[in-house]
Amino acid sequence: MACAKKGGDAVRPYTRSSDMADTSIKEPFWSPARHLDKLSIVLFFAAWEAAPRLGGIVETFIAPPSLVLKTLVELFRQGEMLGHVTISLSRAVSGFGVAALVAIPLGFLLGGGFRTFERLVAPVLRFLGQVNPFSLFSLFVLLFGIGEFSKGAMIFWVSLWPILFNTINGVKSIDPLLVKSARSMGTGLTTLFFKVILPAASPGIFHGLKLGSGTAFFMLIAAEMIGASRGLGWLVWNAQINFQMPQLFAATVLISVLGLSLNFTFGALEEKLTGWRRKSAGES
Amino acid sequence: MSNLAENIIPDQEPKIVIRNIGRTFHIKKSPAGPHDFVALQEISLEVQKGEFVALVGPSGCGKSTLLDILAGLAKPNSGAVFIDGKQVTGPALDRGIVLQGYALFPWRTVRQNVEFGLEIKKVAKGERREISTRFIDLVGLKGFEDRFPHELSGGMKQRVAIARALAYDPEVLLMDEPFAAVDAQTRETLQDELLRIWEETRKTIIFVTHSIEEAVFLADRVAVLTANPGTVREIVPIDLPRPRQNSDIRSSPEFGWTRHKIWELLQNQPPADHRAGEQRPVADAISPSAAL
Ligand SMILES: Nc1ncnc2c1ncn2[C@@H]1O[C@H](COP(=O)(O)OP(=O)(O)O)[C@@H](O)[C@H]1O
Ligand SMILES: [Mg+2]
Repeated sequence: MACAKKGGDAVRPYTRSSDMADTSIKEPFWSPARHLDKLSIVLFFAAWEAAPRLGGIVETFIAPPSLVLKTLVELFRQGEMLGHVTISLSRAVSGFGVAALVAIPLGFLLGGGFRTFERLVAPVLRFLGQVNPFSLFSLFVLLFGIGEFSKGAMIFWVSLWPILFNTINGVKSIDPLLVKSARSMGTGLTTLFFKVILPAASPGIFHGLKLGSGTAFFMLIAAEMIGASRGLGWLVWNAQINFQMPQLFAATVLISVLGLSLNFTFGALEEKLTGWRRKSAGES
Repeated sequence: MSNLAENIIPDQEPKIVIRNIGRTFHIKKSPAGPHDFVALQEISLEVQKGEFVALVGPSGCGKSTLLDILAGLAKPNSGAVFIDGKQVTGPALDRGIVLQGYALFPWRTVRQNVEFGLEIKKVAKGERREISTRFIDLVGLKGFEDRFPHELSGGMKQRVAIARALAYDPEVLLMDEPFAAVDAQTRETLQDELLRIWEETRKTIIFVTHSIEEAVFLADRVAVLTANPGTVREIVPIDLPRPRQNSDIRSSPEFGWTRHKIWELLQNQPPADHRAGEQRPVADAISPSAAL
């Protein structure tokens, strides 16, 4: 039986407010307003370049960007730099990876299956999460020596907590109605986990991974400055004690760039995999 | 089309038999101390194949609890539910349920939401697509297949929930206040469309609502429930002609009379003498618009 649709519900044209904001408010390409954010970066670099030359600040303390870039290129040419980057990244990745492998399943157990137990251990976990990793580093060195393992343990330690806490929160905040809805269709436990629990908890997990990766990288540099013979942190430390300002700046800039790209990668991944959540939360 | 109730062969075995259902919740934390709360008491109801039965009652009288038991999501403390003579022991794809609230998966598009039950049923991909296309079309959402739930209005979300429950072809459709959260005009549109879908698909529908008007407009029979404890007070047959959609049946005298009768049933609830102090006028618990 055919019936004409009353009311404008289904035929209401679809508009997403964020789309509208994007297209209608956007300035044309040549408008200065479009490039305001880039301007600040340009100004920053210009000031940085100019300051040592104008003699306001002594060149031995502040290396201008042109010199930093030159030093960077040279360090890469000598073939040494790639080694430092590789060793730092592999340390970060292994510590972070193991932390993720431990924290995500543990988070599911504590946030899902063993709620009472989670309530019991939560204060202890919070306390452990707050323990300053630097004070622990000396303990790790005592326990595991100055080698790779103690640095790995430190990265593991600092990335474990944000991943664990955010996974627990992600699992806890799953709408029970979704689970009920899936169960009403006769969904088995395994399917329920992979098709409902995991995707529903994924925004929390990703948030934790993003935070964890940032802290892991940050702490790695610090750990390498304290006890290492290779890596980006060591490079900074080495340049510092030998008073090689261009090297110090080159390593620092490289670390920032790597940190930024790490952040960007996780951000893009998060947006791609859990973008539905960001939008449904009403953010624009 | 004649009234469906006339088409039912009386000695046919009922599709759904609800027999003496009781459900008690143990309340641990309350000012009165731990006690047992009787949510449902001796609920019995038989529903014929292809019949549309509405359950009305004040909020808190156990409608959702009863629907959960029918869906197999909760177990009664006493009594049993039979579908086609077989006792319900858990959820299964012979019953589709539209829960109170949309309960759509926010990470799935309209199409993927509608296909969820088909994936559980392990229907092949091509066939899944074909079926979801058909049901998205049926609920009037053609062209919205790739939208995510947050990109839809409330009424559209409700259509997706209905399409999802219908897609795996259950014989029984259980709906818990599906139109409670949408505006009045969308609500009437959805009611019309539900009747059209029901007539096209010949499902057996149990429809929970707290709106008397909605119950009278949709159902073949209305079961009036009362609270404290939740029991069936009376089952009112609705002898209004069909098709009712796209008609001004709501303004007919028969409609008004039936609606008033149910309103009175809900008004003159027998006082629950064992807890007279707690009793509040039932009409207050019913939405004012429903009683109009
Ligand atoms: N899990 C539960 N634990 C304790 N009480 C419950 C639970 N579920 C429902 N109830 C109580 O049972 C009664 C019926 O609830 P419900 O079926 O949701 O009512 P309705 O859907 O008719 O509004 C309410 O008083 C509610 O507080
Ligand atoms: Mg309810």
